[in-house]
Amino acid sequence: MGSIGKIGFLGGGNMAKAMAKGFIAAGLTKPSGLIASVHPADKISLQSFQELGIETLTENAPVVERSDVVFVSVKPQVVPKVLEEIKPLSGNKLFLSVAMGITLKCLESSLSAQSRVIRVMPNISALVRSGCSVYVRGSRANDADAQITQRLLEAVGTCESCDESQLDIVTALSGSGPAYVFVMIEALADGAVRMGMPRDMAYRLAAQTVMGSGHMVRESNTHPGQLKDNVTSPAGSTAAALKHLELSGFRAAVAGAVEAATQRCREISSET
Amino acid sequence: MAKAMAKGFIAAGLTKPSGLIASVHPADKISLQSFQELGIETLTENAPVVERSDVVFVSVKPQVVPKVLEEIKPLSGNKLFLSVAMGITLKCLESSLSAQSRVIRVMPNISALVRSGCSVYVRGSRANDADAQITQRLLEAVGTCESCDESQLDIVTALSGSGPAYVFVMIEALADGAVRMGMPRDMAYRLAAQTVMGSGHMVRESNTHPGQLKDNVTSPAGSTAAALKHLELSGFRAAVAGAVEAATQRCREISSET
Repeated sequence: MGSIGKIGFLGGGNMAKAMAKGFIAAGLTKPSGLIASVHPADKISLQSFQELGIETLTENAPVVERSDVVFVSVKPQVVPKVLEEIKPLSGNKLFLSVAMGITLKCLESSLSAQSRVIRVMPNISALVRSGCSVYVRGSRANDADAQITQRLLEAVGTCESCDESQLDIVTALSGSGPAYVFVMIEALADGAVRMGMPRDMAYRLAAQTVMGSGHMVRESNTHPGQLKDNVTSPAGSTAAALKHLELSGFRAAVAGAVEAATQRCREISSET
Repeated sequence: MAKAMAKGFIAAGLTKPSGLIASVHPADKISLQSFQELGIETLTENAPVVERSDVVFVSVKPQVVPKVLEEIKPLSGNKLFLSVAMGITLKCLESSLSAQSRVIRVMPNISALVRSGCSVYVRGSRANDADAQITQRLLEAVGTCESCDESQLDIVTALSGSGPAYVFVMIEALADGAVRMGMPRDMAYRLAAQTVMGSGHMVRESNTHPGQLKDNVTSPAGSTAAALKHLELSGFRAAVAGAVEAATQRCREISSET
Protein backbone atom coordinates (compact mmCIF):
# COMPACT_ATOMS: atom_id res chain seq x y z
CA MET A 1 0.00 0.00 0.00
CA GLY A 2 1.22 3.49 -0.79
CA SER A 3 2.12 6.01 1.83
CA ILE A 4 -0.62 8.19 3.20
CA GLY A 5 1.18 11.47 2.77
CA LYS A 6 1.37 14.29 5.24
CA ILE A 7 -1.46 14.50 7.73
CA GLY A 8 -2.70 17.79 9.14
CA PHE A 9 -5.09 18.56 11.97
CA LEU A 10 -7.19 21.68 12.05
CA GLY A 11 -8.11 22.11 15.70
CA GLY A 12 -7.05 20.18 18.79
CA GLY A 13 -9.31 18.41 21.20
CA ASN A 14 -9.39 14.84 22.47
CA MET A 15 -10.24 13.24 19.14
CA ALA A 16 -7.41 14.90 17.26
CA LYS A 17 -4.92 14.07 19.98
CA ALA A 18 -6.13 10.49 20.22
CA MET A 19 -5.81 9.98 16.50
CA ALA A 20 -2.42 11.62 16.20
CA LYS A 21 -1.15 9.47 19.05
CA GLY A 22 -2.68 6.35 17.51
CA PHE A 23 -1.27 6.97 14.03
CA ILE A 24 2.23 7.32 15.49
CA ALA A 25 1.84 4.28 17.76
CA ALA A 26 0.62 2.21 14.82
CA GLY A 27 3.65 3.22 12.76
CA LEU A 28 1.53 4.84 10.05
CA THR A 29 3.54 8.02 10.34
CA LYS A 30 6.29 9.66 12.35
CA PRO A 31 5.59 12.84 14.34
CA SER A 32 7.35 14.72 11.53
CA GLY A 33 4.64 13.52 9.16
CA LEU A 34 1.99 15.37 11.16
CA ILE A 35 1.21 19.06 11.52
CA ALA A 36 -1.52 20.77 13.52
CA SER A 37 -3.13 24.13 14.07
CA VAL A 38 -4.79 25.00 17.34
CA HIS A 39 -6.50 28.09 18.68
CA PRO A 40 -3.94 30.33 20.43
CA ALA A 41 -5.90 30.03 23.67
CA ASP A 42 -5.92 26.21 23.53
CA LYS A 43 -2.77 25.67 25.57
CA ILE A 44 -3.76 22.11 26.45
CA SER A 45 -3.94 20.94 22.84
CA LEU A 46 -0.78 22.86 22.01
CA GLN A 47 1.04 21.05 24.79
CA SER A 48 -0.40 17.64 23.91
CA PHE A 49 0.64 17.89 20.27
CA GLN A 50 4.08 19.23 21.15
CA GLU A 51 4.57 16.40 23.64
CA LEU A 52 4.05 14.03 20.73
CA GLY A 53 6.70 15.91 18.75
CA ILE A 54 4.17 17.37 16.32
CA GLU A 55 4.75 20.81 14.82
CA THR A 56 1.87 22.94 16.05
CA LEU A 57 0.90 26.33 14.62
CA THR A 58 -1.88 28.84 15.26
CA GLU A 59 -2.70 29.33 11.57
CA ASN A 60 -4.86 26.96 9.52
CA ALA A 61 -3.57 27.88 6.06
CA PRO A 62 -0.02 26.45 6.37
CA VAL A 63 -1.41 23.21 7.80
CA VAL A 64 -3.62 22.75 4.76
CA GLU A 65 -0.87 23.76 2.32
CA ARG A 66 1.59 21.28 3.81
CA SER A 67 -0.79 18.31 4.13
CA ASP A 68 -2.32 15.75 1.78
CA VAL A 69 -4.92 14.56 4.29
CA VAL A 70 -6.52 17.15 6.58
CA PHE A 71 -8.57 16.35 9.67
CA VAL A 72 -11.16 19.03 10.36
CA SER A 73 -11.49 18.83 14.13
CA VAL A 74 -12.45 22.35 15.09
CA LYS A 75 -15.69 22.93 16.98
CA PRO A 76 -18.76 22.67 14.73
CA GLN A 77 -19.67 26.33 15.29
CA VAL A 78 -16.41 27.57 13.74
CA VAL A 79 -16.31 25.09 10.85
CA PRO A 80 -17.98 27.37 8.27
CA LYS A 81 -15.52 30.16 8.97
CA VAL A 82 -12.51 27.84 8.84
CA LEU A 83 -13.62 26.20 5.60
CA GLU A 84 -14.14 29.58 3.98
CA GLU A 85 -10.63 30.57 5.01
CA ILE A 86 -8.97 27.47 3.58
CA LYS A 87 -11.14 26.99 0.49
CA PRO A 88 -8.58 28.51 -1.91
CA LEU A 89 -5.96 26.02 -0.69
CA SER A 90 -8.22 22.99 -0.58
CA GLY A 91 -7.94 21.62 -4.11
CA ASN A 92 -6.60 18.08 -4.54
CA LYS A 93 -6.68 17.25 -0.84
CA LEU A 94 -8.66 14.79 1.25
CA PHE A 95 -10.59 16.31 4.14
CA LEU A 96 -11.72 14.10 7.02
CA SER A 97 -14.28 15.94 9.09
CA VAL A 98 -15.05 14.84 12.62
CA ALA A 99 -17.24 17.90 13.23
CA MET A 100 -20.61 16.76 14.56
CA GLY A 101 -23.66 17.78 12.63
CA ILE A 102 -21.78 19.32 9.70
CA THR A 103 -23.13 17.56 6.61
CA LEU A 104 -21.25 16.42 3.50
CA LYS A 105 -23.34 18.89 1.51
CA CYS A 106 -22.12 21.74 3.69
CA LEU A 107 -18.51 20.52 3.65
CA GLU A 108 -18.42 19.96 -0.10
CA SER A 109 -20.03 23.29 -0.96
CA SER A 110 -17.63 25.12 1.36
CA LEU A 111 -14.48 23.64 -0.16
CA SER A 112 -12.92 23.52 -3.62
CA ALA A 113 -14.63 21.37 -6.24
CA GLN A 114 -11.28 19.57 -6.61
CA SER A 115 -11.24 18.53 -2.96
CA ARG A 116 -12.61 15.29 -1.57
CA VAL A 117 -14.46 14.97 1.70
CA ILE A 118 -15.16 12.12 4.08
CA ARG A 119 -17.11 12.53 7.32
CA VAL A 120 -15.90 10.55 10.29
CA MET A 121 -17.60 9.70 13.57
CA PRO A 122 -14.90 8.36 15.88
CA ASN A 123 -15.22 7.90 19.64
CA ILE A 124 -13.22 8.66 22.76
CA SER A 125 -11.75 5.18 23.10
CA ALA A 126 -9.47 6.01 20.20
CA LEU A 127 -7.36 7.34 23.09
CA VAL A 128 -6.56 3.76 24.08
CA ARG A 129 -6.70 2.48 20.50
CA SER A 130 -9.98 0.71 21.10
CA GLY A 131 -12.07 3.27 19.30
CA CYS A 132 -15.15 2.63 17.20
CA SER A 133 -15.18 4.76 14.07
CA VAL A 134 -17.61 5.03 11.20
CA TYR A 135 -17.06 7.09 8.05
CA VAL A 136 -19.21 8.37 5.20
CA ARG A 137 -17.79 9.00 1.73
CA GLY A 138 -18.52 12.31 0.12
CA SER A 139 -19.57 12.47 -3.53
CA ARG A 140 -16.04 13.04 -4.84
CA ALA A 141 -14.18 10.73 -2.45
CA ASN A 142 -12.71 7.76 -4.29
CA ASP A 143 -11.72 4.22 -3.30
CA ALA A 144 -8.16 5.30 -2.46
CA ASP A 145 -9.55 7.95 -0.12
CA ALA A 146 -11.72 5.34 1.57
CA GLN A 147 -8.74 3.02 1.96
CA ILE A 148 -6.64 5.79 3.49
CA THR A 149 -9.46 6.59 5.89
CA GLN A 150 -9.84 2.93 6.81
CA ARG A 151 -6.09 2.55 7.45
CA LEU A 152 -5.94 5.67 9.59
CA LEU A 153 -8.96 4.82 11.70
CA GLU A 154 -7.99 1.19 12.11
CA ALA A 155 -4.85 2.47 13.81
CA VAL A 156 -7.07 3.53 16.71
CA GLY A 157 -9.76 0.85 16.78
CA THR A 158 -12.40 -0.57 14.46
CA CYS A 159 -13.69 1.20 11.39
CA GLU A 160 -16.51 0.77 8.92
CA SER A 161 -18.40 2.88 6.44
CA CYS A 162 -22.09 3.74 6.22
CA ASP A 163 -24.54 6.08 4.54
CA GLU A 164 -24.86 9.61 5.84
CA SER A 165 -28.44 8.79 6.83
CA GLN A 166 -27.10 6.44 9.53
CA LEU A 167 -24.82 8.99 11.13
CA ASP A 168 -27.23 10.26 13.78
CA ILE A 169 -27.78 6.73 15.06
CA VAL A 170 -24.07 6.02 14.87
CA THR A 171 -23.46 9.12 16.99
CA ALA A 172 -26.06 7.97 19.50
CA LEU A 173 -24.54 4.49 19.73
CA SER A 174 -20.78 4.57 19.26
CA GLY A 175 -20.28 8.31 19.69
CA SER A 176 -22.26 8.80 22.90
CA GLY A 177 -22.24 5.18 23.99
CA PRO A 178 -19.05 5.45 26.04
CA ALA A 179 -20.86 7.76 28.46
CA TYR A 180 -23.55 5.12 29.09
CA VAL A 181 -20.85 2.55 29.73
CA PHE A 182 -18.88 4.85 32.06
CA VAL A 183 -22.06 5.29 34.11
CA MET A 184 -22.59 1.51 34.14
CA ILE A 185 -19.06 0.91 35.38
CA GLU A 186 -19.55 3.42 38.17
CA ALA A 187 -22.86 1.80 39.10
CA LEU A 188 -21.37 -1.72 39.08
CA ALA A 189 -18.67 -0.49 41.42
CA ASP A 190 -21.24 1.29 43.61
CA GLY A 191 -23.11 -1.99 44.04
CA ALA A 192 -19.96 -3.89 44.88
CA VAL A 193 -18.84 -1.23 47.36
CA ARG A 194 -22.24 -1.28 49.02
CA MET A 195 -21.80 -5.03 49.47
CA GLY A 196 -18.37 -4.60 51.03
CA MET A 197 -15.72 -4.43 48.27
CA PRO A 198 -13.03 -1.77 48.35
CA ARG A 199 -13.66 0.94 45.77
CA ASP A 200 -10.43 0.62 43.80
CA MET A 201 -10.85 -3.13 43.42
CA ALA A 202 -14.48 -2.61 42.39
CA TYR A 203 -13.41 -0.23 39.60
CA ARG A 204 -10.67 -2.58 38.38
CA LEU A 205 -13.03 -5.54 38.21
CA ALA A 206 -15.91 -3.53 36.73
CA ALA A 207 -13.75 -2.04 33.99
CA GLN A 208 -12.13 -5.34 33.04
CA THR A 209 -15.45 -7.20 33.13
CA VAL A 210 -17.06 -4.67 30.81
CA MET A 211 -14.07 -4.66 28.46
CA GLY A 212 -13.90 -8.44 28.33
CA SER A 213 -17.60 -8.85 27.74
CA GLY A 214 -17.55 -6.41 24.85
CA HIS A 215 -14.58 -8.33 23.49
CA MET A 216 -16.51 -11.60 23.80
CA VAL A 217 -19.44 -10.30 21.77
CA ARG A 218 -17.11 -8.82 19.19
CA GLU A 219 -15.15 -12.03 18.66
CA SER A 220 -17.95 -14.49 19.10
CA ASN A 221 -20.28 -15.62 16.36
CA THR A 222 -22.87 -16.12 19.04
CA HIS A 223 -25.94 -14.00 19.77
CA PRO A 224 -25.52 -11.90 22.96
CA GLY A 225 -28.66 -13.57 24.33
CA GLN A 226 -27.02 -16.97 23.88
CA LEU A 227 -23.86 -15.69 25.57
CA LYS A 228 -26.02 -14.52 28.46
CA ASP A 229 -27.63 -17.96 28.66
CA ASN A 230 -24.22 -19.60 28.68
CA VAL A 231 -23.19 -17.82 31.88
CA THR A 232 -26.52 -18.11 33.70
CA SER A 233 -26.56 -21.28 35.78
CA PRO A 234 -29.89 -22.53 37.12
CA ALA A 235 -30.84 -20.73 40.34
CA GLY A 236 -27.46 -19.06 40.45
CA SER A 237 -26.27 -15.53 41.21
CA THR A 238 -26.42 -14.42 37.58
CA ALA A 239 -30.07 -15.40 37.31
CA ALA A 240 -30.86 -13.40 40.45
CA ALA A 241 -29.09 -10.35 39.06
CA LEU A 242 -30.80 -10.60 35.68
CA LYS A 243 -34.21 -10.72 37.37
CA HIS A 244 -33.37 -7.45 39.08
CA LEU A 245 -32.25 -5.87 35.81
CA GLU A 246 -35.44 -6.93 34.04
CA LEU A 247 -37.73 -5.73 36.84
CA SER A 248 -35.87 -2.42 36.73
CA GLY A 249 -36.51 -1.97 33.02
CA PHE A 250 -32.80 -2.04 32.29
CA ARG A 251 -33.22 -2.94 28.62
CA ALA A 252 -35.72 -0.11 28.04
CA ALA A 253 -33.40 2.32 29.81
CA VAL A 254 -30.50 1.43 27.52
CA ALA A 255 -32.44 1.16 24.26
CA GLY A 256 -34.27 4.38 25.13
CA ALA A 257 -30.98 6.16 25.70
CA VAL A 258 -29.92 5.36 22.13
CA GLU A 259 -33.31 6.60 20.94
CA ALA A 260 -33.11 9.84 22.93
CA ALA A 261 -29.59 10.51 21.67
CA THR A 262 -30.59 9.81 18.07
CA GLN A 263 -33.52 12.17 18.31
CA ARG A 264 -31.36 14.91 19.78
CA CYS A 265 -28.81 14.39 16.98
CA ARG A 266 -31.53 14.70 14.38
CA GLU A 267 -32.77 17.90 16.03
CA ILE A 268 -29.28 19.36 15.98
CA SER A 269 -28.75 18.32 12.35
CA SER A 270 -31.93 20.04 11.29
CA GLU A 271 -31.04 23.19 13.21
CA THR A 272 -27.56 23.38 11.68
CA MET B 1 -13.68 -22.17 31.89
CA ALA B 2 -11.31 -25.11 31.60
CA LYS B 3 -11.33 -24.94 27.84
CA ALA B 4 -10.83 -21.18 27.89
CA MET B 5 -7.87 -21.47 30.21
CA ALA B 6 -6.26 -24.36 28.36
CA LYS B 7 -6.58 -22.44 25.11
CA GLY B 8 -5.21 -19.28 26.73
CA PHE B 9 -2.21 -21.01 28.31
CA ILE B 10 -1.22 -22.45 24.95
CA ALA B 11 -1.79 -19.20 23.11
CA ALA B 12 0.32 -17.34 25.68
CA GLY B 13 3.16 -19.81 25.22
CA LEU B 14 3.09 -20.90 28.86
CA THR B 15 2.82 -24.51 27.81
CA LYS B 16 2.48 -26.75 24.80
CA PRO B 17 -0.57 -29.00 24.39
CA SER B 18 1.66 -31.87 25.47
CA GLY B 19 2.14 -30.12 28.80
CA LEU B 20 -1.59 -30.37 29.56
CA ILE B 21 -3.78 -33.31 30.47
CA ALA B 22 -7.49 -33.39 31.23
CA SER B 23 -10.18 -35.71 32.50
CA VAL B 24 -13.79 -35.29 31.48
CA HIS B 25 -16.98 -37.18 32.22
CA PRO B 26 -17.50 -39.90 29.62
CA ALA B 27 -20.81 -38.32 28.60
CA ASP B 28 -19.20 -34.90 28.07
CA LYS B 29 -18.47 -35.30 24.37
CA ILE B 30 -18.25 -31.55 23.82
CA SER B 31 -15.41 -31.05 26.29
CA LEU B 32 -13.69 -34.19 25.05
CA GLN B 33 -13.76 -32.83 21.53
CA SER B 34 -12.67 -29.33 22.55
CA PHE B 35 -9.65 -30.57 24.46
CA GLN B 36 -8.70 -33.01 21.72
CA GLU B 37 -8.99 -30.25 19.12
CA LEU B 38 -6.36 -28.38 21.13
CA GLY B 39 -4.15 -31.46 21.06
CA ILE B 40 -4.60 -32.16 24.78
CA GLU B 41 -4.57 -35.75 26.02
CA THR B 42 -8.03 -36.33 27.47
CA LEU B 43 -9.00 -39.22 29.76
CA THR B 44 -12.13 -40.28 31.61
CA GLU B 45 -10.30 -41.00 34.87
CA ASN B 46 -9.27 -38.33 37.38
CA ALA B 47 -6.47 -40.25 39.11
CA PRO B 48 -3.96 -40.35 36.24
CA VAL B 49 -4.48 -36.63 35.62
CA VAL B 50 -3.55 -35.84 39.22
CA GLU B 51 -0.64 -38.26 39.21
CA ARG B 52 0.86 -36.74 36.08
CA SER B 53 0.34 -33.08 37.00
CA ASP B 54 2.03 -30.57 39.29
CA VAL B 55 -0.80 -28.03 39.07
CA VAL B 56 -4.37 -29.32 38.97
CA PHE B 57 -7.42 -27.27 38.05
CA VAL B 58 -10.54 -28.53 39.79
CA SER B 59 -13.25 -27.57 37.31
CA VAL B 60 -15.89 -30.22 37.86
CA LYS B 61 -19.40 -29.13 38.80
CA PRO B 62 -19.64 -28.02 42.44
CA GLN B 63 -22.04 -30.89 43.29
CA VAL B 64 -19.48 -33.57 42.39
CA VAL B 65 -16.46 -31.85 43.94
CA PRO B 66 -16.62 -33.68 47.31
CA LYS B 67 -16.70 -37.08 45.60
CA VAL B 68 -13.86 -36.19 43.25
CA LEU B 69 -11.64 -34.82 46.03
CA GLU B 70 -12.22 -37.94 48.10
CA GLU B 71 -11.17 -40.07 45.16
CA ILE B 72 -7.93 -38.17 44.50
CA LYS B 73 -6.97 -37.41 48.10
CA PRO B 74 -4.37 -40.20 48.31
CA LEU B 75 -2.61 -38.77 45.25
CA SER B 76 -2.84 -35.14 46.21
CA GLY B 77 0.27 -34.62 48.30
CA ASN B 78 2.78 -32.02 47.08
CA LYS B 79 0.54 -30.63 44.41
CA LEU B 80 -1.10 -27.27 43.83
CA PHE B 81 -4.86 -27.37 43.34
CA LEU B 82 -6.63 -24.44 41.69
CA SER B 83 -10.35 -24.71 42.28
CA VAL B 84 -12.81 -22.82 40.12
CA ALA B 85 -15.78 -24.58 41.70
CA MET B 86 -18.30 -21.99 42.85
CA GLY B 87 -19.28 -22.02 46.48
CA ILE B 88 -16.74 -24.66 47.55
CA THR B 89 -14.75 -23.05 50.35
CA LEU B 90 -11.04 -23.31 51.08
CA LYS B 91 -11.94 -25.03 54.32
CA CYS B 92 -13.82 -27.72 52.44
CA LEU B 93 -11.10 -28.08 49.82
CA GLU B 94 -8.25 -28.27 52.31
CA SER B 95 -9.99 -30.74 54.57
CA SER B 96 -10.83 -32.96 51.60
CA LEU B 97 -7.25 -33.14 50.30
CA SER B 98 -3.90 -34.24 51.66
CA ALA B 99 -2.30 -32.08 54.34
CA GLN B 100 0.71 -31.84 52.02
CA SER B 101 -1.33 -30.31 49.23
CA ARG B 102 -1.82 -26.62 48.63
CA VAL B 103 -5.05 -25.02 47.49
CA ILE B 104 -5.97 -21.78 45.79
CA ARG B 105 -9.53 -20.80 44.88
CA VAL B 106 -10.03 -19.00 41.61
CA MET B 107 -12.97 -16.99 40.32
CA PRO B 108 -12.34 -16.48 36.59
CA ASN B 109 -14.91 -15.31 34.06
CA ILE B 110 -16.13 -16.25 30.60
CA SER B 111 -14.05 -13.64 28.77
CA ALA B 112 -11.01 -15.80 29.41
CA LEU B 113 -12.21 -17.37 26.13
CA VAL B 114 -10.96 -14.28 24.29
CA ARG B 115 -8.11 -13.70 26.71
CA SER B 116 -9.81 -10.68 28.25
CA GLY B 117 -10.89 -12.45 31.38
CA CYS B 118 -11.10 -10.97 34.86
CA SER B 119 -9.84 -13.42 37.46
CA VAL B 120 -9.48 -13.19 41.21
CA TYR B 121 -7.82 -15.80 43.42
CA VAL B 122 -7.70 -16.56 47.13
CA ARG B 123 -4.72 -18.29 48.73
CA GLY B 124 -5.40 -21.25 50.93
CA SER B 125 -3.62 -21.60 54.26
CA ARG B 126 -0.81 -23.76 52.87
CA ALA B 127 -0.35 -22.00 49.54
CA ASN B 128 2.99 -20.23 49.35
CA ASP B 129 4.34 -17.28 47.37
CA ALA B 130 5.52 -19.51 44.52
CA ASP B 131 2.01 -20.96 44.24
CA ALA B 132 0.57 -17.46 44.09
CA GLN B 133 3.03 -16.50 41.39
CA ILE B 134 2.19 -19.58 39.32
CA THR B 135 -1.49 -18.76 39.68
CA GLN B 136 -0.90 -15.16 38.66
CA ARG B 137 1.11 -16.21 35.60
CA LEU B 138 -1.49 -18.71 34.49
CA LEU B 139 -4.44 -16.39 34.90
CA GLU B 140 -2.67 -13.43 33.34
CA ALA B 141 -2.42 -15.54 30.21
CA VAL B 142 -6.18 -15.14 29.84
CA GLY B 143 -6.79 -11.63 31.18
CA THR B 144 -6.26 -9.67 34.39
CA CYS B 145 -5.67 -11.26 37.74
CA GLU B 146 -5.53 -10.16 41.37
CA SER B 147 -5.87 -11.74 44.78
CA CYS B 148 -8.31 -11.07 47.58
CA ASP B 149 -9.63 -12.49 50.85
CA GLU B 150 -12.13 -15.32 50.73
CA SER B 151 -14.67 -12.98 52.34
CA GLN B 152 -14.75 -10.95 49.11
CA LEU B 153 -15.46 -13.88 46.82
CA ASP B 154 -19.24 -13.60 46.79
CA ILE B 155 -19.05 -9.99 45.66
CA VAL B 156 -16.35 -10.87 43.14
CA THR B 157 -18.66 -13.55 41.74
CA ALA B 158 -21.51 -11.04 41.52
CA LEU B 159 -19.33 -8.48 39.76
CA SER B 160 -16.73 -10.13 37.54
CA GLY B 161 -18.22 -13.64 37.54
CA SER B 162 -21.80 -12.73 36.66
CA GLY B 163 -21.08 -9.28 35.25
CA PRO B 164 -20.62 -10.47 31.68
CA ALA B 165 -24.31 -11.41 31.57
CA TYR B 166 -25.34 -7.86 32.51
CA VAL B 167 -23.08 -6.52 29.78
CA PHE B 168 -24.37 -8.99 27.16
CA VAL B 169 -27.89 -7.75 27.94
CA MET B 170 -26.73 -4.14 27.65
CA ILE B 171 -25.16 -4.81 24.26
CA GLU B 172 -28.37 -6.40 23.02
CA ALA B 173 -30.39 -3.43 24.33
CA LEU B 174 -28.03 -0.89 22.75
CA ALA B 175 -28.47 -2.68 19.44
CA ASP B 176 -32.25 -2.87 19.93
CA GLY B 177 -32.39 0.90 20.35
CA ALA B 178 -30.25 1.48 17.28
CA VAL B 179 -32.32 -0.94 15.19
CA ARG B 180 -35.53 0.75 16.32
CA MET B 181 -34.04 4.02 15.07
CA GLY B 182 -33.17 2.50 11.69
CA MET B 183 -29.75 0.85 11.88
CA PRO B 184 -29.21 -2.63 10.44
CA ARG B 185 -28.93 -5.25 13.17
CA ASP B 186 -25.49 -6.59 12.33
CA MET B 187 -23.98 -3.09 12.24
CA ALA B 188 -25.70 -2.29 15.53
CA TYR B 189 -24.12 -5.32 17.20
CA ARG B 190 -20.66 -4.53 15.83
CA LEU B 191 -20.81 -0.93 17.05
CA ALA B 192 -22.36 -1.83 20.40
CA ALA B 193 -19.77 -4.51 21.13
CA GLN B 194 -16.80 -2.36 20.17
CA THR B 195 -18.18 0.67 22.03
CA VAL B 196 -18.59 -1.35 25.21
CA MET B 197 -15.17 -2.96 24.86
CA GLY B 198 -13.45 0.34 24.19
CA SER B 199 -15.17 2.11 27.06
CA GLY B 200 -14.14 -0.60 29.49
CA HIS B 201 -10.63 -0.28 28.14
CA MET B 202 -10.71 3.49 28.66
CA VAL B 203 -11.65 3.14 32.31
CA ARG B 204 -9.05 0.44 32.82
CA GLU B 205 -6.20 2.46 31.34
CA SER B 206 -7.24 5.88 32.49
CA ASN B 207 -6.37 7.35 35.85
CA THR B 208 -9.57 9.31 35.61
CA HIS B 209 -12.80 8.76 37.53
CA PRO B 210 -15.55 7.24 35.33
CA GLY B 211 -17.73 10.23 36.21
CA GLN B 212 -15.07 12.55 34.83
CA LEU B 213 -14.78 10.40 31.70
CA LYS B 214 -18.55 10.70 31.30
CA ASP B 215 -18.29 14.49 31.67
CA ASN B 216 -15.54 14.60 29.05
CA VAL B 217 -17.79 13.14 26.37
CA THR B 218 -20.97 15.02 27.30
CA SER B 219 -21.15 18.25 25.31
CA PRO B 220 -23.61 20.91 26.41
CA ALA B 221 -27.12 20.24 25.07
CA GLY B 222 -25.77 17.38 22.99
CA SER B 223 -26.97 13.88 22.21
CA THR B 224 -25.03 12.32 25.09
CA ALA B 225 -26.70 14.61 27.60
CA ALA B 226 -30.13 13.68 26.24
CA ALA B 227 -29.31 9.98 26.55
CA LEU B 228 -27.97 10.32 30.08
CA LYS B 229 -31.14 12.08 31.16
CA HIS B 230 -33.11 9.09 29.94
CA LEU B 231 -30.83 6.66 31.78
CA GLU B 232 -31.17 8.59 35.02
CA LEU B 233 -34.95 8.92 34.78
CA SER B 234 -35.07 5.17 34.16
CA GLY B 235 -33.12 4.40 37.32
CA PHE B 236 -30.31 2.84 35.30
CA ARG B 237 -27.73 3.19 38.05
CA ALA B 238 -30.00 1.57 40.63
CA ALA B 239 -30.75 -1.25 38.22
CA VAL B 240 -27.06 -2.00 37.74
CA ALA B 241 -25.93 -1.53 41.34
CA GLY B 242 -28.92 -3.54 42.49
CA ALA B 243 -28.01 -6.38 40.16
CA VAL B 244 -24.62 -6.70 41.84
CA GLU B 245 -26.38 -6.65 45.20
CA ALA B 246 -28.92 -9.32 44.19
CA ALA B 247 -26.19 -11.54 42.82
CA THR B 248 -24.05 -11.13 45.94
CA GLN B 249 -26.97 -12.04 48.16
CA ARG B 250 -27.74 -15.12 46.09
CA CYS B 251 -24.05 -16.14 46.27
CA ARG B 252 -24.08 -15.78 50.05
CA GLU B 253 -27.25 -17.88 50.25
CA ILE B 254 -25.65 -20.61 48.14
CA SER B 255 -22.44 -20.48 50.19
CA SER B 256 -24.36 -20.93 53.41
CA GLU B 257 -26.38 -23.81 51.97
CA THR B 258 -23.28 -25.63 50.70
